[in-house]
Parts: sequence; C-alpha cells; structure tokens
Amino acid sequence: MSKLKDNKLLVFGLILVMIVISICVVSFFYLPHDPNAMNTSDRFQSPSIEYLLGTDQFGRDIFSRIMVSSQYALLIGLVSVTLGSFLGLILGAIAATSKGFVQSILMRIIDGFMAFPGILLAMMLVAVLGKGLWNAVIAIAIFMVPVFARLSYSLVLDQKNNLYVKAAKSYGASKGRIIFKHILPTILPRLITQFSASIGSAILIESSLSFLGLGVQPPDASWGLMLSESRQYTLTYPFLAFPSGIILIITVLGFNLIGDALNDSMVKRRASA
Amino acid sequence: MLNFIVKRLFSGLVVLFFISLVTFIVLMWIPGDPALLSLGTDATPEKLAELRESMGLNLPWYEQYYQWLTGFLVGNLGNSYVFGEDVFTLLVQRLPVTISLAVLSMAIAIPIAIVIGVLSAIYKEQWIDYIARSVMQLGDAMPQFWLALVFLVFFSAGLGWFPVAGFTPVEEGFFASLHSILLPSIVLAIGQIGPLIRIIRSSMLSSLEQDYMLMTSVNGFTKFRSIGKYALRGAIIAPLTIIAMQLAGILGGAVLVESIFALPGLGRLLLMAVEQRDLILLQGIVIFVTGTVVVVNMVTDILYQIVNPMIRFGGSHE
Repeated sequence: MSKLKDNKLLVFGLILVMIVISICVVSFFYLPHDPNAMNTSDRFQSPSIEYLLGTDQFGRDIFSRIMVSSQYALLIGLVSVTLGSFLGLILGAIAATSKGFVQSILMRIIDGFMAFPGILLAMMLVAVLGKGLWNAVIAIAIFMVPVFARLSYSLVLDQKNNLYVKAAKSYGASKGRIIFKHILPTILPRLITQFSASIGSAILIESSLSFLGLGVQPPDASWGLMLSESRQYTLTYPFLAFPSGIILIITVLGFNLIGDALNDSMVKRRASA
Repeated sequence: MLNFIVKRLFSGLVVLFFISLVTFIVLMWIPGDPALLSLGTDATPEKLAELRESMGLNLPWYEQYYQWLTGFLVGNLGNSYVFGEDVFTLLVQRLPVTISLAVLSMAIAIPIAIVIGVLSAIYKEQWIDYIARSVMQLGDAMPQFWLALVFLVFFSAGLGWFPVAGFTPVEEGFFASLHSILLPSIVLAIGQIGPLIRIIRSSMLSSLEQDYMLMTSVNGFTKFRSIGKYALRGAIIAPLTIIAMQLAGILGGAVLVESIFALPGLGRLLLMAVEQRDLILLQGIVIFVTGTVVVVNMVTDILYQIVNPMIRFGGSHE
C-alpha cells in the first residue's frame, strides 16, 4: 500500500519535471514571441490568445520569457550540481579513506562550509567573481560541495570495512580504484537521490541570486529576474508575480518530490532487507 | 563531560579560524582598489598611496590577515570602505532588525511545526499526515522572496493590514514595532516549517516505536497520557539540533526578505557590501553570521549532551 503511494509521489514529481523539460525543449525550436522584444503599446496586457500569460511592464510576452528562462534554470541546476557533487564525492571519499590529521582537517573544512547560509556563500562568491550566469553556476557548485562531501564521507565510511573492499585491497587495488570501481556503485543510489533534491535547491538559489540582481543579467530572462524586474509594478498589477513564481515552484517541487520518493523507497528497502 | 565540552569548543574554534582565513583569502581576490573606493575617482595619486599605506594594503596577505585577526580579537573589525564607519558599529546598528525577525519567525514556526509534526506522526498515513506532508513539500519548494512579494501585494497593499515597507524601532512602541516585522517574520517562518515538521515527525515516529511506549500501554495509560508524558519528551530533543541548523537558513532568508520589505537589517547591509564590493564590511558580516551559526551549533551540541543522558554516557566512555 505504502509502496504504491511512494510511486505516486515519484510519478507526480516526474510529471512536474517533464512539464518543465518539455517547455525547455520546445523553447529551442519555437517561441510564440521574441522574449526580449519590447512593445510599449502592449504593456500589462491580460492573458489572451495572442499573449497566453499576458505581457510585462515592457510589453514583452511573459509566456515566451518563461519558456526561455527554463533553459537557464535547468542548465544552472544541472551543471552546478554535477560539478558540486563530483568535487564533493572526491573530497568526502578522500576524507573517509584517510586517517587522523588529514581526515580531521578535511572534515573541519567541510564543517566550515556548512556554517555558511547558502545564499550568503553564493553572494560572497558573486562579489568575488562578479555578477552573471556562469559565476552563479560556480557559486552554487561550491555551495553543493560540502553537502555531497558530507554524504559521501559517511557512505564511504560505511562501506570501507565491508568484506568486498577488504578483498579488493588484498588484491592490491589502488585507493582510487577501490573507491570508483568498488565502492561507488554501491553508494550511487544514495548520491542520485541527493542529486535530484539538490537540483531543486540549486534552482532556488539561482532564482534568489537573480532576484537580487546578482545572477542572470538583463536582457536575458530568468524566473528570479522576471520577479525582480516586475517587483515595483506588482502593487498595481499583481498578476506579474504569479506566472514565473508558479513555474519556479513547479520545477523545485518536481525535483524535490523525485528525490524524496527515491529516498523513501531506499530507506524502506534497507529496512526490509 | 568536561572533556567533551573542551573538545567541542576547540573544534568550533578551528572551524571559525578556518572560515575567517578562507573568507579573507577569497575576498582578497575581489578586483578593485579599496583606497580608490573610499576616496573616489578624483583623488590624487599621492593621497591614494598614503591611504593604501595606512590601510595596510601594501602588506602581503598574511600580514593583512594577521592585522585583521588581532583587530577581531579585541572587537575591531576595521572600517567599511563605503560607509567610512566602523564595521562593528554598522553591524550593531542593523542587528536588532535581523534578530527580531529571526526570533519572531522561530516563535511562529516552532509551535506550529511541533503541533503538525506530532499529529502527523500519531496519525501516520492518515489524512492529517498527508496534509502535513503536502504543506511540508510546498513550503520547501516555495521561494521565500516570491512568498514575500505575494504577501506584500495581498496583505499590505491589498488589504492594508500591514505597512508596505520599513521598520519601526522598539523605542517607538513595542506593538508598532512588532506590527512592522510581523509579515516578514511569517514569510520567514513558512520557509522553516517544512524542515522542522520533517524532523519532528520522524523523531516522534521513532519515539513512538520505542519499547517504553509499549510498556506504557501495557501499564494501562491512556494513549493521550503516554504520548504526552513519554513519547513527546523523547521526540523534542532531536529538533533542538535542527533549530540550531535552521539558523543558517533563517539568516539567509532574512537577506531576501529584508530586501523586499525594505527593512534596515543585516541582509540589506550584506547586499550593499556585495554590490559595492566593500571587502572589510563583507568580511565582517560573513564572520559575524557564520560565527553565530558555529557558536549556536556548539552550544546546542553541549546542551544536547546535558539533556540526553544516553549520549552523555556514550560520550564518557571515550
């Protein structure tokens, strides 16, 4: 019974993510309007056949802008989490397989990074690297490193004393080979779970940075930037706050649900094993 | 016990030292000349050189760091390039707003999360649980800045229940002050409720499965009494830690929320420091925020030891 429910969560999450991915794919081939074309005579249009979600303060088509923004959101989410998880995995694995001093230094470094509120770390890095899309990617990737380092550390530590690892060691396999060839496959499911959930939070951070004017720069479109740009007009035309906010929630919710459902099913499998 | 406290204090200090060092090195990379920033572009080269000298900008980075560190130890965080004021004073000026936000939002979030979390554990897989979990998921996925914007439009501009922007200091009346930060605090609280419910629910679930719970029902306690008296006590400890961990999230959320509600708090100061590339100010804020998080975590770890005897005895074997 509960298994069915978990699958429902997973299916719901997958549907939400598929919606966003399809929007993204379509946006490469077809856009109803030029997302950056300003048309001052058509400002603040309500949704219509011509403009599905209406137009913004510059008369730009909101629907087209949302479609284009999905490219940035998914790109930033995927690239930053991939980078962050890879570095984190290496760092965590090194910490778990080394002893004494090196281990405790590495773990203190990871602890130190964990003490940074995500947005603070990202803002600090943006201050150093400068505003912009790719710098936001790097900032978010660095934010993801300790999350994955912590997780890989405990996962590798769990596996380290298992017989199959000892067997590999007795054959003279190198540290790197043991980690990537033997341990990695067993901990991969947990990492993938974290990966999915992290994409959600990466997209949230990206939108927050863009909202603060530190991420994607105009005239490019990003959901966070769209909200920021329309901010002063929302008091008179509240509708502007909704399209980009709702698509943002759909995306983050989708990735979070997938991560949660995978995690639940793994916990259950371990408990019943 | 003492041994543990000393060890924990030490590792906390190491983390803090590491953070300050890395922040300093990273921030040194910020392009731009702080002397130019403080004097403006029409300053003469002689004046600039003089200021650079007096700011210690010609020294190698480790000496600059040493200067900063020794200053920090006596409570001197240096002067902001942009404001020309002492960073410590700037922090202290902005702090009341952010602290009130953090405290009020926790005061709102924690009781609600405890009620929802406990109920959803007791009625696991029933409608209360499903609603609680949906609330949790939605809370996690909702960007706080968006929620702030929507609330502002709806409650402040639309219904006129709250001021649209600005902060009323406590000196001008407690309730007026509370009123000015209530809406931003609610927004911050909604962001925290998700993770809080999650941890309270799972610790309550594991608490309900303990042998002593079986024992209370054998002893003929009513469900209500055994839950209230035993399960809750076991379940409340775990959230202690997460509340400490939440602090980082609250401070992060405050940056965004303050910027939307135009509240003169730490978050706004931070945004200004980033935009103006004010290295010393940025360093001060980062150390202050992360230091608070590290210290609070340290204190909770130690409290945790005192509250939970099982961990205490486990620890004393070392």
